[in-house]
Amino acid sequence: MVSTVQNTDVKQKDSDHAVVVAVASRAVFEPGAGGGDGVYAEGVAFPLLQALQKVNERLLEENSAESLLFDIVLITTDSQQQQQSSQLISSTKHYGLEVSRFCFSTEEDFSESLLKNNVQLFLSTDRNEVSQTSQKGVLSALLDEYTASCPSEQLRVLLCGDAVIRPDTNPTPASRQAAQSFSARLGKMRQRFGMSDSPLSITLMTSCGGRDSCGGALQTLRSLGISADEAYCLAGAPQGPILSVLRPHFLLSDGFSGLED
Amino acid sequence: MVKMSLDPVQVMSGQVKELKVAPSSNGDSRGSWEEKEEFDQDHLGLTSKPIPVTGRRARKVEGGIFFPKPENAVTIAVSSRVLFRTEREQKVFEQKGVEEYLRYQIEHENEPFAPGPAFPFVKALEAVNSRLRELYPQSEELFDIVLVTYNHAHVGIRLINTINHHNLFIERFCMTGGSSPIGYLKAWHTNLYLSADADKVREALAEGIAAATMFMPEKLTEVSQSQLRVAFDGDAVLFSDESERIFKAHGLDKFFEHEKENEDTLLDHGPLKGFLEALGKLQKKFYAKGHRLDCPIRTFLVTARSAASSGIRALKTLRAWGLEIDEALFLAGAPKGPMLEKIRPHIYFDDQMFHVEGAAEMGTIAAHVPYGIAQKHNAKQNTGVRK
Repeated sequence: MVSTVQNTDVKQKDSDHAVVVAVASRAVFEPGAGGGDGVYAEGVAFPLLQALQKVNERLLEENSAESLLFDIVLITTDSQQQQQSSQLISSTKHYGLEVSRFCFSTEEDFSESLLKNNVQLFLSTDRNEVSQTSQKGVLSALLDEYTASCPSEQLRVLLCGDAVIRPDTNPTPASRQAAQSFSARLGKMRQRFGMSDSPLSITLMTSCGGRDSCGGALQTLRSLGISADEAYCLAGAPQGPILSVLRPHFLLSDGFSGLED
Repeated sequence: MVKMSLDPVQVMSGQVKELKVAPSSNGDSRGSWEEKEEFDQDHLGLTSKPIPVTGRRARKVEGGIFFPKPENAVTIAVSSRVLFRTEREQKVFEQKGVEEYLRYQIEHENEPFAPGPAFPFVKALEAVNSRLRELYPQSEELFDIVLVTYNHAHVGIRLINTINHHNLFIERFCMTGGSSPIGYLKAWHTNLYLSADADKVREALAEGIAAATMFMPEKLTEVSQSQLRVAFDGDAVLFSDESERIFKAHGLDKFFEHEKENEDTLLDHGPLKGFLEALGKLQKKFYAKGHRLDCPIRTFLVTARSAASSGIRALKTLRAWGLEIDEALFLAGAPKGPMLEKIRPHIYFDDQMFHVEGAAEMGTIAAHVPYGIAQKHNAKQNTGVRK
């Protein structure tokens, strides 16, 4: 059972051209925490949402008729939060978040509702959720507490050139395809802006192979129409220290390697 | 010459490690090294001779660690502008802006850059690594060269093509697309950062990372292909600038007086002390295997201090730090250029541009350490401007 509520405060996007990003409401708002007067407190994905909005804002500045925008959907499976759906909606409006619509779904219909809504990227703090949706072919990425400390004025996306970064998501041909098509659209968005002062930054990272695997990944990205801003080749060095400087909002892990796997 | 008093066996004892398979190498197993005894002696510092490998001497060693953990290696971060010559591209950037610059780079992607001032130094580091891998195939105590540039990833393919063309062993890099590289320097446990950008170098020094600005000399004297030779100025490079301050404020006589009075007080450490220390550690690994006379690392102190007087304090300080320097040259104020021309170091560190330029005129690759009282815009290490 899926029900969708439109956010009347926000102009709806052109569904043919927009990039639909679904975010678990549990990541956007602290579950159960009351911010006083019935408004939820900010969750870890708050800066991420603000960054997505910033991209939209700047895209429209460049071209007021732009249709390649992020279409943000808040999705909830938590039955408790569903009972408080009005609080969810009012909190969203309170913070002025550019959420187009709210999706309420049961756990069983969850992946279906994502596919039905043409979601191109699903973000959640729940590892199991992300694993499930990923297996059903929906491009999914895990958010964690580090996401909270990411910048809110620039969306930073990390593409992993060798698919070893996130062993919990099993890459399938469908998810690889989803990753590539999402990234290609991201690449297109990136091209709307100049080299400096872009609200969107695309970073490539290879963690295991040497320079040639990074070079191969750069070529793959190029063939998809994606120009990365930054590139890091770790060749076995631990990722943690680098990631904490990089501060990407989320990582996408397959479809970018230059090698056949 | 300052004598090393630490016994190599003492240094190594207590470090008996279990045999480990080389971690995270790029997939292929490199365990083709037959001599088991080599492995066991590895971390004990015992000096029995390695068993001669018949028929293998001429070929490149197959075993060894190629992707050491950053904290175990001596990490040298170099920027693209000092590793290679990019003057033409720099001009495009300055005159026509970043978009045109990147377009130019992509257009010329298959043209490798020519070697820059840090190139011979990097080649020498690789030569040392080959010798280290021969003697200690399981050790991660190697030089690890990381390309850290604030170029955009658009230039990445050209840089990789260039590295391939020159057959350099650089497998790690950071292209920060315009963001400050300083955070990454720390993440890589950088022991030395070389860049063409004095601001970035100052920032690194302010963070406690040894760093220097490099310049391309007009002519290049030939340097050794088999021995890494590194020369250091003393004050404000290995040592703090405290004595230089006295000299600048009160003149030469006061300087001598002060040094004599404080002969037995150690000088405070300078920004490159840690790097000399790292070199010393690797040197001891060669000594432990009987390679003192043909050690592929040689260090030099080239100082304006004089041997009989102010130099004594420098030597005592080095000795107290347990640091060995192979040759100490006390010039007593004589120009450094001719001496450096004889030494032919792969790199010479000095805090004064006057000396750096003098060295470069005679073909020595010199690097400026913008630290201490000698700098025109202010002195102390805590004022690195953050970008």
